[in-house]
Amino acid sequence: MRDAGVRITVIALILCVLGIMSIYSNTHQKDDRYWQLTYQRQIFWVILGLVIFSIASHFNYRNLWDFSYFLYAFALFLLFLVFVLGVVRLGAQRWLKVAWFNFQPSELVKLMFVIFYARYFSAKSVHDVSLRVGKFGAFRAILLPLLFLSVPLYLIIEQPDLGSAVMIMMIFVVMLFLGHVKLRYLLAFIGLILVFLPLGWHFLRDYQKDRLIVFLNPNIDPLGAGYTIIQSKIAIGSGGFLGKGWLSGTQSQLYFLPESHTDFIFATFIEEWGLLGGGALLGLYYLLIRQGILIAAKTYDHFGRLLALGISAMLSLQVFINVAMNLGLAPVVGIPLPLMSYGGSSLFSTLLSLGILVNINKTRAVF
Amino acid sequence: MPRIRFFNFVVLVVFVVLFLGLANLSIIHGYKYSELSRKNCIRLIPQPGRRGRILDRHGDVIVDNMISYNLMVLPSEFSNPDQILSRLSRITGKDSAALKRSYRQNFISLSIPVVVSENIEIKKAIALEEMKPELGGFTIEPQPLRHYPEGELGAHVLGYLGEIDRWRLTKLADYGYNTKDIVGFGGVEEQYDYYLRQEDGGVSVEVDRKGKFVRMIGFRPAQSGRDIQLALDLKIQRIAESKLGDRRGAVIVMDPSSGEVMAMVSKPSFNPAVFVEKNAAAVQELFNDPKAPLFNRAISGAYPAGSLFKLIVASGALETKKINLSTAFTCDGGLTIGRRRFACWNTHGTQNIIGAIARSCNVFFFKTGILLGPQLIHDYAVKFGLSKPTGIDLSAETGGFMPDPLWDKVYKRKTWYDGDTANFSIGQGEVLVTPVQMACVMAVFANRGTLVWPHVIKDIQGRDVSAGFRKASSVPIQKSTIETVRKGLRNVVADPEGTSYLLASLPVEVAGKTGTAQVTGKLPHGWFIGFFPFEKPKYVLCVFLEHGGSGYAASVVAKEVIADMCSGGVL
Repeated sequence: MRDAGVRITVIALILCVLGIMSIYSNTHQKDDRYWQLTYQRQIFWVILGLVIFSIASHFNYRNLWDFSYFLYAFALFLLFLVFVLGVVRLGAQRWLKVAWFNFQPSELVKLMFVIFYARYFSAKSVHDVSLRVGKFGAFRAILLPLLFLSVPLYLIIEQPDLGSAVMIMMIFVVMLFLGHVKLRYLLAFIGLILVFLPLGWHFLRDYQKDRLIVFLNPNIDPLGAGYTIIQSKIAIGSGGFLGKGWLSGTQSQLYFLPESHTDFIFATFIEEWGLLGGGALLGLYYLLIRQGILIAAKTYDHFGRLLALGISAMLSLQVFINVAMNLGLAPVVGIPLPLMSYGGSSLFSTLLSLGILVNINKTRAVF
Repeated sequence: MPRIRFFNFVVLVVFVVLFLGLANLSIIHGYKYSELSRKNCIRLIPQPGRRGRILDRHGDVIVDNMISYNLMVLPSEFSNPDQILSRLSRITGKDSAALKRSYRQNFISLSIPVVVSENIEIKKAIALEEMKPELGGFTIEPQPLRHYPEGELGAHVLGYLGEIDRWRLTKLADYGYNTKDIVGFGGVEEQYDYYLRQEDGGVSVEVDRKGKFVRMIGFRPAQSGRDIQLALDLKIQRIAESKLGDRRGAVIVMDPSSGEVMAMVSKPSFNPAVFVEKNAAAVQELFNDPKAPLFNRAISGAYPAGSLFKLIVASGALETKKINLSTAFTCDGGLTIGRRRFACWNTHGTQNIIGAIARSCNVFFFKTGILLGPQLIHDYAVKFGLSKPTGIDLSAETGGFMPDPLWDKVYKRKTWYDGDTANFSIGQGEVLVTPVQMACVMAVFANRGTLVWPHVIKDIQGRDVSAGFRKASSVPIQKSTIETVRKGLRNVVADPEGTSYLLASLPVEVAGKTGTAQVTGKLPHGWFIGFFPFEKPKYVLCVFLEHGGSGYAASVVAKEVIADMCSGGVL
C-alpha cells in the first residue's frame, strides 16, 4: 500500500463495489426484470472499466501529448455526432447509441479537455526550455484557450447538458490556476464571468430556470421541480447516524427518490449507511483525490503534473457538485457521482482518468 | 508548488464543508426527516367500527346502525380529476360542481383516497361497482351510519350525533378523543358516549410513490361500541309521545320504586337522523327554531310548580304538627293578607287537609303556609329534592329554584312578607321546578318515603351497572304524614269534587295532583303528577303542558296515557 498506484486501485475498487451494492439495494425489488438486473449490468461495466483502467495504466501518458489535438478533434466530432444523431432520452440529447450501449460523450469530453489544456499550458519555449505560459499575454493565456473551448461548450449547452457545460467551465478555470496563468488575468477572467452570469439567465431553458428557483426554495413546487431535492434531503436526513441498513432504505426502494441509482445514489447510500457510512465515503473520495495531488507534487514533468492535477480537479469537482446537489446545497444538474452512479460512460471515463493517473505515477521516474 | 498546496487545501475544506452539511441533515434535522420519510411511505387505511346500539328495556332496538356507501376517488390515478368527477356525477345524479367542491375540500395527498360523496344509495353504489373495471380510479367504501328506525321517538333521551366541538375536545382529549370524531350531543348518546363509542381499527401499509400497496405493516381490528339497554319501554314511550301530540310540554313515566324512567317525552321534538344526513339547512332550522325543539323540557325546563307545591307544604305542616287531620280552615273564595286579597279558584267552604288536597284549595294552603313559615317550606322542599338537579343520567339537567327567606334577607336585603309566603305556599312566585323533579316528589308518596334516583340506563352490553347507581335516600318524614297525603292524592281522583275526577273512570286506581301555574301575560302551564295502581304503585306519571291552559288539560292527557297503558296491557 506504499505505492500510490496500488492505493488508487484499491480505493477505486471499494467505491465501485459500494456503488454496485447501492444499485442492487434500490433496484432488486422492482417489478421489472430489466430493473432487477441493473446491478449485473453495472458489474459488467465495472469489469470492462477495469480492463480500460489497466490498459490506460500501461499506456505511456507521454503519448497523449502527441495525441492531444487529435483528441480535441475527436471530442468535437463526438459532440457533433450527438448534435446530429442524438437520441432523444430524458428530454435531452446527450447520448450516442453505440451498438447496445448508450454512450454519453460529454463524460469523455471532460477528460479530453483536461489532456488538451495540460498540453497547452505545459508547452515549453524552444530557446530556454522554460514554460511558455509565464510569458503569455492575456490573449494566449485566456482568450485562445477559451476560443478552443467555445464550440464544444456551445454544442454541450445545446444538448442541453448545463451540468457538463458548467463542469467543463470550472475545470477550465481550475486548469488556468494550476497552469500558472498570471493571477491578474485569472482574476479578471473570473470577474468578467461573474459580471455576465446574470445575463446567462435569459439563455436558460425553462426547466433549468425552475431548477435554479427551486434550489433557492424547494418548497415552492414540492411535487414538481422541488420534489427531487426534498426527497433527497428526506432520504439523507432519515438515515440518521447509523442509517437504516443495507436493503432497508424506504425512500429509494419505494420510488420516492427519483434517479436514486444514478445522480442521487449518494442519498441512497446515506439513507442506508447513515452519517457514519457517509463520512467514510467522503473520506475515501478525499483519499482518492489526494493520491492524484500527491502524484502531481512528485512529478517534475510539467505535462504529467498538470495532467494529474487536472484529473484530480475533475474528479473533485464532480464529487463536490454531486454531493452538494444531493444535500440540497447546489441546484440539480445532471452530474453523476464518479465510480458509484449507475452508467457506463461515467464509469469508463473515470476509470480511464484513474488509469492515466496510475501511469503518471509509474512513468514519472523516467524524467 | 504553492498553487498545488492551495488547491489541496481548498479540496480538503470543501470535503469538510460537505461532511458538515451531511451531519446537519442527518443529525441535527435527523428526527424531522425520519418522520417525513415515515409519512412518505406509511399509509393508514381506516376500518370504521360500529357504534353501540341503544335498546329499550325489552331489548328492542331504538337506535342502530346501517351500512352506508361512500364514493371515493383515487387522486393518484388522474392528473386531472374533473373528467372522472363529471362521469361520476352523471351516474350518481349528484351535481358535478358539488362533487368537484368536495373533492377540493377533502383532498389530502395524492396517495389518499378522497371522499367525494357520502351516503349514496345502494342501487347507485351497485351500479358504480359494476362500472369500476371500465372507468377505474374510484372505490365504494361501506361505512356504518347511525340509523333511527323509530324516527323522532325518544329523541331527547337519545340525543344526536355530531362532530366533536372544541369545548368537548379540550375536556375529552385525555380519553382518546380526537378532532373530527363523531360524538354524542345530549341524551344517552352524550352521557354514555364513552361506552357507545367504537374504536376504529385500521391497516397500516407501506406504499410506494404512486400509493401502490407494497406490504402490510400492522393491523388493528375495529372494535364495536357497547350496546346500551335503557329502562325505557318503547310501548309506553310510543303511547306518551302520541298522547302529548303536538302540544308543547313533557311527559315522564317512571318506576316509583327504582327510579327507572320508562318514558320521557319532550315536545316539540326533532328527528336525530337530520344530523346524520348532514342536512345543513335542516340542522340550522332546528337550532334557530324559537320553539326550541332540541331543548329537553322534561329535565332542562324549569317552571313554576303551581298547586303541585301544596304537597310539600302539606307534608311540612303535618310533620311539624302545625296542623293535623282535624285542623280545618274555611275557604270563602279568598284570603286578605295585609292589604291584598289572595283569591282561591273556587269557594270550598270548611275542609280538612285531605279535602284541601283533593280540591286544591288555595285558602287552606295560604293559612297552612303562613303557619309553617317560609323557611320551613323551603327546608321541606329541599328535603324532597327540589332546588337541585335530581342527577338523572342525561346531560343538561337544571336544578330549578327555591326561594329562601333567609338567603333573601342576607343577600338581597329583601323583607319577606306573609303575602310572599302565601304565593310560595301555592308554588307561585319564584318557585321553579322541572318535570323530572316533580315525578320524583310524586314517587316519594307512591313508594312511601324514598327519594329515588331517576335514571334511564339499565345495563351496558348485558352487564348490570346498578353498582354505580346513586343510592335512593329516604325523606325524613313519618309514615303517618305520607299516608295522610296519599289519602288526599287518592281523593283528587276518587272524590267527585276532586280536581282530577275524570280519572276515576279508569280501570285502575289512580292518585295524583293537578297544578295550574300562572304565567304573567300568557296561558298558564298545566301540570298533572300521579301514580297508579294506588295500593302497589308501578308507575309515576308526570304530564306537563307548557302554556297548556290548566291542570285539567294535563289531567286529560294523563287519562289518555293511562287508558292506553291499561288497554295496551303494560299494566
